Amino acid sequence: MEIVFSDVPWGVILILLPLAGGMACFLWPAISKLLGLVTVSAIAVSVVALFFQVRDAGVYRHTIGGWGAPLGIDLYADGLSLLMLAITALVGLVVSIYSTSYFAEPLSSRYWPLWLLLLAALNALFLSADIFNLYVTLELMGLAAVALTALSGGGDALSGAMRYLLATLLGSLAFLFGVALLYHGFGSVDIAILGQRVEAIPIVWAALGLMGAGLVLKSALFPFHFWLPPAHASAPAPVSAVLSALVVKASFYILLRLYLDIFGPLGIEGVESLFGLLGCAAVVWGSVQALRQTRLKLLIAYSTVAQLGYLFMAFPLSIISGPAVWSAVVYLAISHAMAKSAMFLAAGNLLCFGGHDRIADMDRVVQRLPVTAGAFALAGVSIIGLPPSGGFIGKWLLLESALTQENWYIVIVLILGSLLAAAYIFKVLGYCFTKAASPHEPRTVPVRMEWAAMLLACGAILLGFMAPVVLPTMNIGDPFIIGAVLP
Amino acid sequence: MNMVFLYALVGVGLFCLGLHALIMHAHLLRKILAFNIMGGGVFLVLVALAKRTEEVAPDPVPHAMVITGIVVAVSATALALKLMLKVSEETGNAELPDERRE
Amino acid sequence: MEEMTLLQEIFDGLLGLGLLWLAWRSLACTDMFKAIVLFIAFGLLMALAWLRLEAPDVALAEAAIGAGVTGALLLSALAGLTSTGASRHEVEQPEGVEKQTGTLHRLPILLLMLTAALLGYAVLSLPSHDPGLSAEVAENLASSGVSNPVTAVLLNFRGYDTMLEMAVLLMALLGVWSLACVESQRDSSADPILDMLTRLLVPLLILVAAYLLWVGAHAPGGAFQAGSVLGAAGVLLILAGWRLPSRLTGWPLRLVVLSGPAAFVAIALITILIGGRLLEYPTEHAGTLILIIETMATLSIGVTLAALFLGSSPEHEEKQ
Repeated sequence: MEIVFSDVPWGVILILLPLAGGMACFLWPAISKLLGLVTVSAIAVSVVALFFQVRDAGVYRHTIGGWGAPLGIDLYADGLSLLMLAITALVGLVVSIYSTSYFAEPLSSRYWPLWLLLLAALNALFLSADIFNLYVTLELMGLAAVALTALSGGGDALSGAMRYLLATLLGSLAFLFGVALLYHGFGSVDIAILGQRVEAIPIVWAALGLMGAGLVLKSALFPFHFWLPPAHASAPAPVSAVLSALVVKASFYILLRLYLDIFGPLGIEGVESLFGLLGCAAVVWGSVQALRQTRLKLLIAYSTVAQLGYLFMAFPLSIISGPAVWSAVVYLAISHAMAKSAMFLAAGNLLCFGGHDRIADMDRVVQRLPVTAGAFALAGVSIIGLPPSGGFIGKWLLLESALTQENWYIVIVLILGSLLAAAYIFKVLGYCFTKAASPHEPRTVPVRMEWAAMLLACGAILLGFMAPVVLPTMNIGDPFIIGAVLP
Repeated sequence: MNMVFLYALVGVGLFCLGLHALIMHAHLLRKILAFNIMGGGVFLVLVALAKRTEEVAPDPVPHAMVITGIVVAVSATALALKLMLKVSEETGNAELPDERRE
Repeated sequence: MEEMTLLQEIFDGLLGLGLLWLAWRSLACTDMFKAIVLFIAFGLLMALAWLRLEAPDVALAEAAIGAGVTGALLLSALAGLTSTGASRHEVEQPEGVEKQTGTLHRLPILLLMLTAALLGYAVLSLPSHDPGLSAEVAENLASSGVSNPVTAVLLNFRGYDTMLEMAVLLMALLGVWSLACVESQRDSSADPILDMLTRLLVPLLILVAAYLLWVGAHAPGGAFQAGSVLGAAGVLLILAGWRLPSRLTGWPLRLVVLSGPAAFVAIALITILIGGRLLEYPTEHAGTLILIIETMATLSIGVTLAALFLGSSPEHEEKQ
């Protein structure tokens, strides 16, 4: 069994499976739900197999075509990519189960091929070790995400999708320009090789500026977050879940990788401080805006803007506390993925239930949809950062670093962010208990959809207990030691 | 190798021209044109600098990258145009509502 | 010889200036139709620039896809816009004019000029001789299965990128088809000149596509160039009013659209199953495998591009 495991290139399977699945769904729309579920389940199994492979054999590097970098493209999986792949597979599986009930024809047969190709793009992105390949995966991901956002077809969704498309294309183009400069500066697009060859010359600063700007736009860092709330709020609920949980993290992942392996070793304190500042602004601005919203999905979308800020706040802290801070960031990213997707699925249930998502008109939700309300509450626990939850662990690690470094601004913003999050979460929960001014006839929400939301929310809480497993996994291959990646 | 850097600088110029038009103009079709011109600029930089090989044929890897880029660009353009038509159908004009200059 | 180099330098200078000028005019023009035509001219000048930079493969792709198909898509979209009532001329925004007061108007332009200057400086700081990866490519060209280095990179060394790129093209079609049909009044008045031109050109285009596909192994050409010429033939047919018979618009059409990426994924799976690495072609069969992939890719690129031009899925067309 061990021999079989270690011979099979699980990473490659993770990419080919959803590609094949998506194409099959396109060819046979009638059985797309079944094909979709089978594919996503197979992906989950493959990620587990990859986990065992990486845990036993160390870092996974696959030279495509046998050529090897710099001529060919390499796939690379260390602890960080493994965790991102795992969260993608898990959230993907639960969201897929949710989608089988959420979409009716004709949307359903359009949804599955788009969704599976998006999964393929995500997996290919997390496994890639080549910056031009990352550009192609970014484009695939972006186009799929836009098409999925526009799926529900209303004016809001279409405008949101258009704005999203413009932002994502601009980000990709800036990124590609950076790739061009790095290639011509150092003769390779492989991340490991670039990491070794890069020096502090003008072409590198230009590339850093371009790629940084492009990725920051795609990751919706304040003040480039303008496209996120309309897109995430007007997309169909399962799509919003995936967008907030996974897609927006993918561009952050690339930013983190480039920082750790290529640009970080050059000593860019100014950029790190800038990220920290913008991250703090994002937390405050996003949370305040979330508090002001009257519609649930917009509230959740602004909450995403705020939570993304926490990820960027780690940069100035990392100068001294390196690996500990990055562990916090990854913990926050994966907990947020679980919690936010749970929230959006819960919002989808409420939309299905009442036909609207106005917060003030939430009509006795706790009594009539207890599972959904519970899911929202549990997810809220993680978003606020209360123990026990994954969000608590992430924030606690950040807080610890900030305290030891006496970075009081970050400490204040961390506490303020949690308080504001508590405010908007409790605001929603408060309305869930009360009767609305104009009660309406409830429509039944499929059991599957309610429990899918609850499952993800429980996952966010469970992550709070899984630190002994998650933290060592994260550090397989030492992704956080700057410049440790070897070709 | 004056020619190489001439074309590379033209590429930079095209990128910035396109970026300006993208940000300043509200009409969606114009934004899509701007994207294509920006893309053309990046491709010019890629291919021009590939010609810095001495005497032998230019470096083929950037050429392959640009062909990939051209196909990606036409895919994105097709989707953007269809989306623009749908937005225009819904809202009556080919500009995004509440357009904010970013 | 000296005059030749001077002449070349003047030509390059004029071409570069022409590119910038056309881009600027195209983006500044208020009449959308004129803007698109200028853009197509820009695309053709780009093709010339690629030739000057010794990139014939890119020139072919640019002329066919960048100027040709993109131009057709843009014009078709403009027609769609005017038929839904949106103006062909960009409306001058009163608020837009208000915003452009004094220094505030200058600020974006100044920032962009600064960016351009910084980027230009970075580019100029590069060494004037750098082989890039051309040596590695030349070394491994013999075992790649083809003798055109660009095709070798596209279909062998970096074939994985090409596989994903085919998925991107498929994704665009999926996206366009999933957005419900736009109400368009397509003029199906039979134009005799267009009809005759179509009858003459389409077989010729198909022939050219087949040639480009075959010759791509050892000379400039290949699947993308061939596929886009095929796509152009499809666009002509659509303009002339020809549509697929309805029994072919279901899964047969989808099968052809998928044939490129599916062939790639299938061969990828086979390379894994025979125990090698992803897309590691056995050297004796590399040339054949590449030809198979390219043929399927040409077909699917051509059909996909034509379908993108048509804009609505065949089922929607029938409902109209």
